[in-house]
Formats: sequence, structure tokens, C-alpha cells
Amino acid sequence: MSSTSQHLLLSPAELAYLHGSLSLITPGPIRPDGRSPTQFRPLTAETGILPGTNGSARICFADGTEAVVGVKAEVEKTPVPPYEFVASTEGRKDHSGTPKKSGRKSKKTATEDEISMDVDDEADEEAAGANEKVRGSPDWVELSVEIPGLRDDDSGTVFLTSMLTEALLADGEFVKKLWINRRFHWKLYLDIILISPPLSYPLPLLSLTTHLALLATRLPRLKSEADEDPMFDDDWAAATFLYPLQDTSSGKASNKSSKQSSAAAAAAPASRPPITLLVMAVGDNIIFDPSKEELAVADSAVAVSVAEGPSSEPEPESESIPATTTKRNLHLLSVRTIDPPSRLTPPGVPNSVNAAAWGTMTAATPTTTTAATAPSSDGGAAKHPDARVTETEDVVGVWKAPRGGAKFGMLGAMVAKVLREAASPRRFWMGLRVWI
Amino acid sequence: MADRRRINGPVGATTPPIFDKPAGPAAAKTRDAIRKIFLKTGITPSASGSAYLELENPNPQRPGNTSLKLSCTVHGPRSLPRSAPFSPHIILTTHVKYAPFATRQRRGYLRDSSERDLGVHLETALRGAIIADRWPKSGVDIIVTVVEGDQDRDSPRAKKDDEGWDMMNVLSGCITVASAAIADAGIDCVDTVAGGVAALVCKDDKTAPTIVMDPVVAEHGSILAACCVAYLPTRDEITNMWFKGRLPGADMMVYDKLMEKSLVACRCANRVIVQELNETVKKGQGIS
Repeated sequence: MSSTSQHLLLSPAELAYLHGSLSLITPGPIRPDGRSPTQFRPLTAETGILPGTNGSARICFADGTEAVVGVKAEVEKTPVPPYEFVASTEGRKDHSGTPKKSGRKSKKTATEDEISMDVDDEADEEAAGANEKVRGSPDWVELSVEIPGLRDDDSGTVFLTSMLTEALLADGEFVKKLWINRRFHWKLYLDIILISPPLSYPLPLLSLTTHLALLATRLPRLKSEADEDPMFDDDWAAATFLYPLQDTSSGKASNKSSKQSSAAAAAAPASRPPITLLVMAVGDNIIFDPSKEELAVADSAVAVSVAEGPSSEPEPESESIPATTTKRNLHLLSVRTIDPPSRLTPPGVPNSVNAAAWGTMTAATPTTTTAATAPSSDGGAAKHPDARVTETEDVVGVWKAPRGGAKFGMLGAMVAKVLREAASPRRFWMGLRVWI
Repeated sequence: MADRRRINGPVGATTPPIFDKPAGPAAAKTRDAIRKIFLKTGITPSASGSAYLELENPNPQRPGNTSLKLSCTVHGPRSLPRSAPFSPHIILTTHVKYAPFATRQRRGYLRDSSERDLGVHLETALRGAIIADRWPKSGVDIIVTVVEGDQDRDSPRAKKDDEGWDMMNVLSGCITVASAAIADAGIDCVDTVAGGVAALVCKDDKTAPTIVMDPVVAEHGSILAACCVAYLPTRDEITNMWFKGRLPGADMMVYDKLMEKSLVACRCANRVIVQELNETVKKGQGIS
């Protein structure tokens, strides 16, 4: 996987030092750039930079990596497979206890709407009736990732693409937003381009940029009704956001005023696009958004995708779980372990077996008592008494690429920490919200 | 004489065609273990290590039902070409390829994105298990061919998202079979890694979702979430984890349960690997 195993010019000694400082327990991990374990890299972002798209965003991280995302939408006819058609008509017959609402023909619903001019009511009814029939298909989203210097069928790029796609499609809520009517849907093309060379593992950058671009995405307002051929308002100013924005102003205000405005948060029905975060573990420490150097000493790395759903279910909020965990209704979409590039780093050689440091000499001639290589003084029978030890066990201060995997508890803790951090509103969710 | 001016109806009486209703999904069997696994090593003589894995067919009576069949070959460890840069570790290359006839939809000869994705997952799972620094300047190729995918073919509900859940099952099979093939090739590992899947399924909207091990995709009404894990049992470590889906309610509790269940599936699969390797060793001792 070439995108993770970038050339990294760190010696085994430097790796060992970095690993040591990142796995400190008492003062917490000391990161090379002075961030706290859960802090993200500083970034600059802007949206709406590409006029030819429905939504676009650009993010530049402080380390110089930069990505641009453009979202384009097209109206597409929904193919109706024969069995689905049969099933859907049967389904409508089944719950035709409300024959008026489910509507025989579009004509009838149109007249009904004219009679009841209340817009809210109509919307409610539409939502209630639509819950059954609004469907989405994973085909409606097409995502492409381009990373300079890598072929687009490179397995690293494919892995990134499928991870980002998976986050969008995992719960099936996102594609439902692309529904127009039974016959038509939006097809969304997300084109993600990394402008700079991949200086660090680009997943968090690409995910954040996609997130922003989706937040900024607007679709023309639909003027036609029901199952007619879709006709749109040609006024771009009237275009609706894919992720409705009306909570942005209120959310920002309420966030500034008070944290315990859970009622206001519940009233705002906005969900947001999923986001994928990169988390790594060193020793017992969990570190967010690792840079390239930090990732090079990771014991394990996990990409976690979370999304904020509509906070329609009040049960989890009212439970006895501390309020911080469920401030926002977050749910887990996908988790993938990532092959940490630390497995490909060169190992260090301990002094006891290093001929240049007189290590093998000590072993071969046990009479010399050079104190510098003391740990091997008990050997003598075997040719390299310490060779086996260094092969299987860790020597303090000598770097060795990690073997094996991560403990069950560690993986669980990483995922839990992501959910907890992402749930706290002052973090990046709010930070990102400002940009629009 | 027949009247040629107009189109006449048929002479005899006819009945309108009645199309048979498509068969429903197979009934879900409640089982407390994974499907039976057939595993055999050393089936490809030209490779340095190889294994074949087949899952028990859950519904052998139904016409088009198939089970998972995987074949894995390991070539290497062998020296890298002279032009390759120095590597302190063994360079692992994994290929997962569906045979063109393996799934409902034909697969081309070029690997598509899902196959490459599976390859990366498999690589992550194996890299944790292999002791890579014992072979500097060398490479090993691990090639898994999916002879038959884990799909329900007679059910007409060709749901698109079924494909994704299938991939989980295929991946866990790939991990198990590759682990056996690596052991057959004699490459040093910290442990035999095994794959397992658990899923959160629900029959319909009314019933509460349940967690099942080794889900047969065709049997379940809908799969809400699934989790595929590669696990080293003696070290109690996870080398690869792939979870996706949507969990209802309190996330972490269901998530943890799902993980635990897939670890149980991994242990079951690992028992098969160990047994097969033991048999191979015994056979080898018997000959010499």
C-alpha cells in the first residue's frame, strides 16, 4: 500500500524516541508538533470555490497537503426492475388504509394539495407517506479519488475510495436525499482531488473536504410534483441545500450561549454528512489525526466513520448515559483498520548483537568485561546469546516494527473515544460549521 | 377459408399466463456456530504453499444455491528482482480475484475496485501475522481465487447492497484460507490468523434485530450491520477489522457484542486451520 508507506527518512533511533515520547503515560503523549492527543491539525478551508459545481470545497492542512472536492449532480431516470414494481404495488395495496394519502395518481394528490394549501402540513404528510417509498440505491453516488503520483487503480487509492464511499453509503440515509420521485433521482458525482503530493496519509483531509463540499452542495428547487417529469426552479438563489442549513444559525447561536441546549438541538432536524477520522494507538495512548511521523510509529491505526443523524429518537438522550456522550446523535457507520506504515520501518540493532558496538565481541570472548554492553555478560555458551532475545523481545530504546495486531479492548476504546470526541460540540463539528 | 383481413384470435380457448411468484428467501436456520468449513492444504503442487476452502452449503436442496469456494496459492518467499530497492522486510503482495463465473454478475478478468479493496484488507490482516523481518530483500505473492462467491442465486431479489455484505463473508474466508496456505508454505507467523464475520440482522421491521455469526446473506431479511475480523487467537489480538452498517440505539454496546460474536467465529475457523495443519504434519511424519 504505497500511500501509507511513503518514504520516511527517520532512523530506527528516531523512531524509538518518537515511540517512547508518544507512549508516555504520566504527562500524556508528547507529540512532535505540540498538539494534545485529540487535537486536529490546523487547517484553512473555503467552500463554493468551483462555480461549475453544485458544491465544492478546498481544505489546506498546515503541513501543506491540500485537497479540492467538487460535487456535481445530474437528474437520472430510475430504472424499475420488474419484481420491485410488483412488490411496490403490492405494498401500496397492503397499507391502503389511507387510500387518499398514498394516492392513486399524481392528479389526485395535486388536487389535494391545492385544497390544503398549508405547506407545512403538506410537507409532513409527504414525509409520512414518503417514509415507505423513498428509497435509495448505492448506484446514485459515484466517488472518485485522485492522488498525484499514484495510478487511479492503485490499491491504496482504491482503498481510500471505498472507505469514503462506504461512509456515505453505510446507513443508506444519504442516498435517500437524492430521491426526486418514483421515476427520477439525482445522481451525485463526487470528485476528490489531492492537489499536493501525499505528504501524510490523506484520509482525514479527503474526508473533511468531502464533508464540507457536501455541506455546501445545493440542488435546484423542485417545482414539479409527485411523479411528474421533474422541473426545477432556474433561480440558483432558490436552490436548496442537500443538508438543510436552517439549523446553522440557530445552532451556532445556541452553541455560543449554552451547552445544555439539548432541546434546541433536538428541534433542529439537521443531519450532517458522514466524516471519517483517523485514530492511532501507541502504547496505551490514543492519538487523533496523526501526522506522517506519528503514523510511522503507530501500533495500530483505525479509520472510523461517524455521522450525525437526525435526533429524532429521544430515548438515548434521556438515558442515564452522561450527557456529553449523547449531545449529538452520532452513530457509527464504518470502522476499518489501516495497515500502519510502522510495520515497514527498518528495525534497530541493539548494541549487544552489533559488531560495530563490540556486541558480538563480548559474546565471543566472555573474559572482556566492557561495561558498555553489560546485558550480554552472562552469555558465552551460545554464539549469539542475545540474538534470540532481541529477535523475540523488545529492548528498551531499540526500535522494532510492531508485530501482531491490536487488542480487542484497544480497538473498542479507540472507536468509543472517536464517538465521544465527535459528540462534544465544541470540537471540529462546530469548527467546520463556521466555514459555510 | 380463413379471414385474412383482420387479426383473428386463437382458435381454441386460452388462459392468460400466470407467472409464478418468485421464491421467497430461504428460511433462516438458527445455528450457534459458523457453517462447516472444509479446508485442505497443499493442493497446488507448483506453488510453495496452497490451500482450498469450502463452506458448507446451507440449503443444498434449493436449485441455485451455492457456497463459498476459495483457492489460495502462496509463491515465495523469493528474492526480489535486482532492480528493486532494498527492503528490510518481506514484501507482501496480495491478490484477490473472483473467477468470472463466481458471482451472479460476471466479473471481468481485470480486478475491479471491490477485489482490490479485498486485497488491501487481506494484506492488512496477514501483515500483522507474518514475522516480516526474518526475510529481508524478499517478496511473497499471495493469490486468492474466489471460485464461487457466497451468493444466493435463485432468489430474484437482486438487491444491490447484498453485494457489500457478501464481501464480508468472502474476506473472512480469504483470511482463513490464506493463513493456512502461508503455514503450508512455511513462512514464519506469530500465529495462525483466522477470519470471522458477525452481523446484526432483522427479519422485518417489526422484530428486534439479532446478532448472528457467519450470516448467510440470502437467509436474512435485511442486514443492518456486519463486522469482519481477522484474529490471532493465542495472542488475543486483532490484525484487521472491518465494520460497516448502521447500529440502532446505544452504539457501543451493540458494537462490542458484534465484535465479540465475530471473535467467536474467528476461534471456530481457527480450530479448523489448526486441525488441518496437524493432519498435514502427521501425514508428513508418517511418510518419512
